[in-house]
Order: sequence, then C-alpha cells, then structure tokens
Amino acid sequence: MVHAVLTADLESVFGDPFDHANPVGHDAVLAADERSEPLVAGEQALDAWQANAEFVPAELGGRLTTVDALVRRLRPVFRRDAALGLGYGVTSLMAALNVWSGGTDAQRKQLADTLLDGQRVCVAYHELAHGNDVTANEMRAVRRGMSLVLDGRKEVINNAGRADHAVVFARTDERAGGRSHSLLLVDLSELPADRWRRLPRYRTMGLRGCHLGGLEFHGCPAPESALVGDVGAGADIALRSFQVSRCVTAGLGVGVLDAALFTVLRFARGRRLYGRTVAQIPHARSTLAGAFTDLLIADSLSTVAARSIHLLPANGAVYAAATKYLVPLLLEQAMDELAVILGARFYLREGDQAIFGKHFRDLPALSIGHAGGVSCQLTMLPQLPQLARSLDRAAQAPTALFDDSAELPKLALDALRLRSGPTDPVLAGLPDLLTALRRADRTEDTAALAAELLAELAELRYDIAATTPHDLGVLAPPAALALTERYATLLAAAACLGTWRHRRRSGDTAWIRLALHRLLARSRPGVLVQPAELDEALFTELTERAAHGQDFCLDAGRVHRQLVD
Amino acid sequence: MRRAPIEAAAWLDSLLGNPGDPANPFSYARCAELDDVDAFPTEICARLDELGVARHYVPARHGGGLTDYETAMQVMRMVARRDITVAVAHGKTYLGGVSVWVGGDAEQAAGLAELIGSGVPVSWGLTERDHGSDLLHGDLVGTATPDGYRLTGEKWLINNATRGGAICVLARTSPAGGPRGFSLFLVDKTRLAAGTYRHLPKVLTHGIRGADISGIEFADAPIGTSALVGAPGTGAETVLKGLQLTRTLCAALSLGGADHALATATRFASERRLYGRRLVDLPAARHTLATAYTDHLMAEALAVVGTRAIHGLTDEMSVLSAAVKYLVPTRVEGLMVMLRKLMGARSLLRDEYEPGGLAKVERDHRIVSLFDGNTLVNLHALVNLFPTLVRAHQRGTSPAAGLAAVTTLTEPLPDWLPERQSLVSRRGSSLLLGLPAVAAEITALAADEPELAPLAALTGRFLTAVGDLHQRLAAVRSTPMDVPKSTFVLAGHLACCLAGAATLHLWLRNRAAFAADSADGVPETAALWRNGIWPQAVLSRVLGAMHDRTCRQTACYPAMFDALASQVSADCLPSLFDCRLAEGRRQPSWSMPC
Repeated sequence: MVHAVLTADLESVFGDPFDHANPVGHDAVLAADERSEPLVAGEQALDAWQANAEFVPAELGGRLTTVDALVRRLRPVFRRDAALGLGYGVTSLMAALNVWSGGTDAQRKQLADTLLDGQRVCVAYHELAHGNDVTANEMRAVRRGMSLVLDGRKEVINNAGRADHAVVFARTDERAGGRSHSLLLVDLSELPADRWRRLPRYRTMGLRGCHLGGLEFHGCPAPESALVGDVGAGADIALRSFQVSRCVTAGLGVGVLDAALFTVLRFARGRRLYGRTVAQIPHARSTLAGAFTDLLIADSLSTVAARSIHLLPANGAVYAAATKYLVPLLLEQAMDELAVILGARFYLREGDQAIFGKHFRDLPALSIGHAGGVSCQLTMLPQLPQLARSLDRAAQAPTALFDDSAELPKLALDALRLRSGPTDPVLAGLPDLLTALRRADRTEDTAALAAELLAELAELRYDIAATTPHDLGVLAPPAALALTERYATLLAAAACLGTWRHRRRSGDTAWIRLALHRLLARSRPGVLVQPAELDEALFTELTERAAHGQDFCLDAGRVHRQLVD
Repeated sequence: MRRAPIEAAAWLDSLLGNPGDPANPFSYARCAELDDVDAFPTEICARLDELGVARHYVPARHGGGLTDYETAMQVMRMVARRDITVAVAHGKTYLGGVSVWVGGDAEQAAGLAELIGSGVPVSWGLTERDHGSDLLHGDLVGTATPDGYRLTGEKWLINNATRGGAICVLARTSPAGGPRGFSLFLVDKTRLAAGTYRHLPKVLTHGIRGADISGIEFADAPIGTSALVGAPGTGAETVLKGLQLTRTLCAALSLGGADHALATATRFASERRLYGRRLVDLPAARHTLATAYTDHLMAEALAVVGTRAIHGLTDEMSVLSAAVKYLVPTRVEGLMVMLRKLMGARSLLRDEYEPGGLAKVERDHRIVSLFDGNTLVNLHALVNLFPTLVRAHQRGTSPAAGLAAVTTLTEPLPDWLPERQSLVSRRGSSLLLGLPAVAAEITALAADEPELAPLAALTGRFLTAVGDLHQRLAAVRSTPMDVPKSTFVLAGHLACCLAGAATLHLWLRNRAAFAADSADGVPETAALWRNGIWPQAVLSRVLGAMHDRTCRQTACYPAMFDALASQVSADCLPSLFDCRLAEGRRQPSWSMPC
C-alpha cells in the first residue's frame, strides 16, 4: 500500500518558517491570512504528502493507527498555520470517524477511497441557532420510500463550499431525546442540484484561511444507503467520535503555542531594552519558562487522553472532555502572557513578530470551533460523583498510558462509552505518583506541593460528594461547574506526573515541579511560592532546545527554525 | 441623580445617533467596514470635530472646554463604545497636547489651543523602533543651533504621525542622555522646510486597523526656540507628568469597549435559546455576565475616582495613574474573554449577530494595555512606589484634605494645576490611608442597618488583606533592574487594593445620593447602591484576585445581574450611574453632508 509508507516528516516538508523565500514560510502564511485564502502551497505540500492518509485506518489503506501518533505527525501543520491544518482536513477526520465507527463496510471502503484520492469531506453538525446543543438541531431527514428527504441548513461548516462529500447530522425523529438524530454520508455531487446549495462563506476573525460555509437543503432526496449506522444512532456515534476529535484538536493546538513561544523567545533575545536584552529581564524569563511549562502540561494531558482512547476506552468521554476544556485555556492564557513580552510588537501585522498575532487570533477560533468549553464541562459534570467515589478502589492506569515507547492496542471506536467509569484510573494514581516524586526530589517545596495537591484532591472529592443531581445538568450553578475545572486541573497534574515518571528523564524534576506549581495555582492561587530556580531551569532548557533545533513539546523533536544571534 | 459628566456624555451620544442603525455613519456596521480595509475613519472624525469634541482636549484656562477630567473621560467613553479606533484616532490630540498643558508656557499653550480649535490633529512622538517603552534610550537628537534646534532621527509606531498637523517630539538634547538629557518640542509640520522630514508608512495592526499608526523621520529639520516645551532637559519629566493624565484617561477606551461588549453579550444571552431555555436563564451564564459586570464596575469606580483625583489629589497621580492604566485595561481584557466564551462561535463571525462581532471589540481593545505605557511599565511604576506607600502606611499618615471632594461626587472639584503634579507621591495614597476610617464608618452603619452586615464583614477582610499586602511590600528588596515576577504580582495586588479602596470611598460618600430612583434610568441602578450591593460584588472580586480563596461572596450576584440586564434592555449604559444611550432615543441619526 503506497499510503502506508510515511516518507518524510512534515517539519522537513515545510522547511524553515523564517526563510522569506519559503512558499510555506511565515511570509506566505501571513499573506494568505491577509487575503483570507488558504495557503495554496501548503495544501499542495499536504497533497503531495498524502495527508488524508493520516485520517484513514491502516486496514483501509491509510496511515491511521493511533490517535497519539496522528497528533504528533500533524502537529507541524498547526505549528505553521492552524488555518491550513483545520482547513486542509482535520474536519475530514472528524467526519470520517463517524463512518469508521458506524458505517457499513461498503461505506468505509467508499470513504477511504474518497479520502485517499485526496478529496475533502465536510462534517455538518452545526446550526448557528443551537450551537453545542446538538440534539436540538433542526435539519431533518424524513424517510420517503427508498429515500431520505433532507430539509434545513447547516452553518459554519468547514469546507462546505468545496467538499463533494459531507457527513450530515439530521433529525430523523420529532421526539426529543438521544435517539432523535441520525448521521448520513452523502455524495453532494449526486444530489439533485436544484434541491440543495452551498451557503456563502462566513467571514471570521481567526482562521481566516478556512473555508467556513454551510449547506442548505430543500426537499432534497438522499439514498437510504447514506445512513451511517442505525436510524437514531446519530448522537451516539457522534459523541463517541467527539472523544477522539477532542483529543486531536487539543493536541494539535499545542503546535500553535510551540510556534508562538519560539517567536517570542527569538524576539526576547534580540530586543534590547533598558540596556540589556529582554531575555535577560527576570520577568520575561519567568514568563517564557511558564509558557514552556504550560505547553508541557498541555502536551502531557492531551497525549494521555489520546492514549487513553486506546488503553482506557471506557474513560475516553471524561478524559477527552477534560482535555478539550483545559488545554485550550492553558494555551490561550500562555499566549496572553507571551503577548505582554512582545509589547507593541504583538499588535503589528507586519514584521518578524506578525506570525504571533496570527497564532493569537487563530487559537480561540480553533478552540471554540469544535465543542466549546461549557459543553465539555457539561460532559464531565454528571460523571464526577461516580468517578470520585471510586477513587479508593480504582486500579491505576497502565504505565503504557504514559510511556510513549509502549505499543498501543488498535483503535477501537466501538469500545468508547458515553459514560465513563466505573473508575478513574488516571486520577486514582495521583497519590502514588506524588509519593514517587517526593522520593525523587526531597526538597521542602516538593513536600509542600504534594501536600497541597492531596488536600485539593480531598476537598474536591468532598465538594463533589456534596452536590445534588440537580447541580449536575445544564442548570448547574457556577460552583458545580467549577468542580469540572478543578477536576481537569488535578487530572492534568496526574497526567504530568505519570509522564514524568514513565516517559523519560525521571531524574529531572524541575519541569514537573513547575508544572505542578502552575496547576496548583489555578485552584489554590497564592498558597505556595514558586521557587525562582525552577523558572531558570526551564528557561535554560527552553533556550537550549531552541538553539539545537528541537521543539518545545514532550518529544523535543527536530524542527527547522533558527534563533538569530 | 444627575451628574454633569454623564450628562455631557449622554448628550454627545444622542447627537451621534444609534450605533446599531447601519444607516448611521457612526454605526457598528460602518466601523466594521472601515476596519475590514484598514481605513481611517475620516468622516466620523470630521463629525466629532463638528460637534466640538476636541474642546475636551484643551484646558479651559487656554480657551478650551476641559474643566473636568472625568467629563473628558466619560465623553470619550461614548466614542469608544462605538469604536475604539475612532476614539484612539481622535482622542490622540489630547495626548499630543498634554506636554504643553503640563510644561509649556502660556503663549505656547494659546497657540496650540488655537491649532486644536481649528481642527488640526496633534500627535505625540515618544517611541522609537529600537527602544519601545525605553524612552531614555531614544536616539532622535535635537541639536542646539543659534536659531533654535535641528531634529534628526525617527519616531515610530506613532498614532497620527502622518495625519497629524503637529507633533510633540521627545528628543535627546544632551548626548549623554539621562533623565535631564531629553527635551520636548512641539513641531508644527507646516512650518518645517520641505525635505527635512518624511512620513513613514502606516503599519498594519491587529486591531484599531483603521488608525494611522505610522512614523516620522526628521533629517536636520530646523525648528525655532519657540517649539521647545519648558526648559531644555525637562522633556522626560514633562512626559512622565503628562502620562499621569493620559494613562488615567485611557480608562475611557476600556470602559467604552466593555460597555459595548457587555451590551452585546447580554442581548445575545437573553435572545439565545439553548437546552430548551434562554441562555440567560442558565445559572452559569448569569454568573458569567454578573462577574463581567462586576469587573466593569470595579474599573469604572477606579476610573471615576482616578480622573477626579487629577483635580483633587494631583500630587498622588503617580500612584493612581499606574493603577488605572494597569488594572482597567487588564480587567476589561479578562471580561471580554469571559463574554467571548459565553457567545461561542458568534463572537468570531464577522457578519453574524453584530457587524464585526465581539472579536473586533476585543482586538481593538488590546491596544489599550500596550500603548501609553504598557502593563509591565505601569506595574513597574507601582513597584518603584512600594517604599513610599509602605512608609506612609506604617506611619499612619492621614489622607490628604482633597480626598473628600475627590470621592464625593456632589462636591465641586478644584481646577487642575500642573504645578501640583509630582513624580513621586510623597504621601503615598490617600485612598489607602483613608481606608481604616471608611471601614469604621461602614461598621458603624451596619450596626444600624443590618442589611449592611455582609459589606461590613467584607470590608473588614479587605482591610486585613491591605495590611498584609503592605507587610509583603515592606519585605521586597529594592532591585530596580531585576524585579522578579513575584514582585510584579504584588504590584497587581496593590492595584486591586486601590480599586477596592476607590469602591468603598465612592459607595460610602455617595450612597445616599444614588440610592434613589432616577428618571434617566432603571430602578435596578439605584438598587446597586442600596445595601452595599455593588461594593460587595467588587470587594469579593478584589479579594479573589488577591488570592483569598475563602471569599466566594456571590449573594449579591443576582442583583448585579438584574442591574446589568435592566440597563441593557432599557438602552442604558452598563454603569454605576444612570445614562440613557442613543439606542433608546427616538432621534434621527445625523447624515453625511453631501
């Protein structure tokens, strides 16, 4: 199979972003953004690289084996241009996941061929009037004879203006509830042309290169064979696909911060203020070190969540929601802090730092575009009581969850569950992992960190136990909703600790200590003082990686970018 | 209760017409179109000229209409609530002129007043390409000649550098530089010889895309002695004093941006249906709106007290201007993030719900924390004041006599006298020094009015927190070049304390006046003032920002939400004060002259 062979990694394909002559360098990316157009040279490079094969399971001829590897291979696209990444095809993956899990063999084969042929598939869930309240969606598919007749519109759909295939989420039952909607895989080119149309492109503030459009159907017949899964199974299939796509979008967003952080570091080393470089100012060093640490936290959590899809599929729902909730917050807050270092340069759409502004505008659009924060919180909230109760008797997560050298079992979407449980293996591991950290690092600071995190865990469990069923639905009071933030924060702490313990470099405790400090400060600001030497250690590692062409993610992989002297 | 600053603002707003009407030349729709193509709002600025808005940029003693800085701030807020680009583009003239008001002589001021009166925009040339906020490393040189000076060098990222007819330039006049090595020159471009200067191209920006952010380069440009502002070598000092005024007035941009964002998000939430209910009926959404509104009122209280203090606590502006310029824009940035997340995808779509969307307001507003001294510069200014503040606190210095007039809105304010300005407030901050007395008064009131018990309790905790903070400030080693991030955090807490103190003074001194319903607004505004509702909400946010975890005072939030929702639905300003907006008036919008 030609597609099964990965010829080169995308970093090499894309080359040096600072090279003005590079057709997929920053200059070209910014120019395309200014024109609100996709980066054509980038799309061509991805075509040549057969990027769509990443979305097709290996058994269907593609290169998709694990969610973790998918994120790592595509991250260079998001490091370069999030609009290219989303616009080229991550939404094709979101569409395809439904077919891989719910479709017939014929549909899977058909879609695999479509994607491997380089075509796009759009995923049509969204209706502006209903947002994340997907089961309120109005677009209908009514059975008439051998057809399903489509009526209604889907809005703000990536590639709706230029994809010939769509996975459409439509109401097939007027009754409310979880069995009211179904999914259809339609070949738009085969629908009667006078019964449907593509809606005009939406203009957006970020991700300007994406073709966000819509589809509108008027009594448009689609063949019955378009149904993906059973009638009424739409929400069930889609919610399981979301578990994968939430991990993927969160993990890809890390690439955006990676690029932005490099841009700011490069600026800080070159800019002189008050008689020295910005990189010599303690506040700037702390900020850069903090952003680097936030990136490592985000990568740890999204990697663990992606691996849990394989290893702990029964927990995918909550782990993916926690990840999709917390990771964008971490990334956006880190971007906010980095913007302060750039000063007025942050505000310019030209010059060496202009790419930062583009990443800054793209990131919120990337996070909102697919399952906003509150919908992730509402996914987590009702599941917290059961998970919290089970912590003492839960088995701990397998080390393969954290150890990237361990093989993962095959992706099995049908193993994913809408309700997580019955236990929470990752959070259950927090106390033992803290003990391991205390053994490896006998500072008072680490002892205090461990004690505060355990206290926060105990208090969170107490507060979860005190909730009533009324608190756990859409009418959740703010304090109940805040439990999900505290939960996600502790889950991230456990993910970081597991990564530190089982992945690599266990001897080095600086990053994990700073990561835990920053996470703790989200729930319990001000209780501990972060030792300044941690900032210095992380800043040193950051600059060393930058100098040696390594990225700032857990992998410290090769990147083609250079610091200026 | 009618207030002159609000009335002046509402009057201008009514003349500018309904911003939601796309036919209005100063509408959201028109401003979004200009933004799309990075175009300067020429017609709108001309309309502001016609309406005499520039009168607020010239002090009354020089023939202008600027008698009260809060009025200037509230008026510009009305412009900013429509479009921050326009407020920045037009309001820049005040920044261009401030050095002359602070350090110029009467003749120079009269000349500048005439220039501004004739509609000439004035800009302020401080920053340079390679030095940013580090003004004392500026390379633009002013060399003395027998007839005056010659200017050589470049100023870059200057608002209205190209469109301005005059520019006030900071130049190095002593090769060694240093605090006395710079002077200010008011340069009338029409008097410059051809070929001695050129404009640098407009720079494309993230927000305020239409603004003229450009530069100017002088090449041996001869200027007369009369262009010198103040004595040679006083440039840096005059700039710092000018910044005490402009940084405080910048609150207008943030408050206006927040007015816009709050109104948009509140309307959206009351129309949007999700999960079978209106979004606004979901407790979490109400909480978000109430929280954002609380932060807005915190910013407003600090801005009102800050601008009044220009008159009554003039020598304390080193403290207050830094606190306002740090806290107000960052709080508003934060509330815009909250509202953006509440609105979801809508906030990022150019043409859905409102032209430009919340994202445009957010992008535009981001300029506020960057220019005129960015966030770090202002926090650093506060750090430098720690020793003075600690000393005053430890000695129990009494607050200045001006405090009562500054915080009592019915009291007349003294004229602003530039000679009263000081680079360092020797007394520290009267707002903080007056806190124990305020707390004692509130405690005494609560003994008679049990409804005030929650506020009294919060005030007590706040007083303790302020005391604890001063102890931590006292422990900070002075390391002017190597301030660690933890010290910046303390400076942020100090700014929060000042906002909390402004809140308590303002509420206590004015509660009787504002607790009665007004014909200009909604009853819920008055309800904010009764029983200490809004100060409770603000203090709980202040304590939260200062890491007091146990303070989760949200009992006052329903009343906060009600006030916001009522103000917005009645087309009033989201504010501590009743102010009816143009959306609620049946007046035709102005039309463009043919």
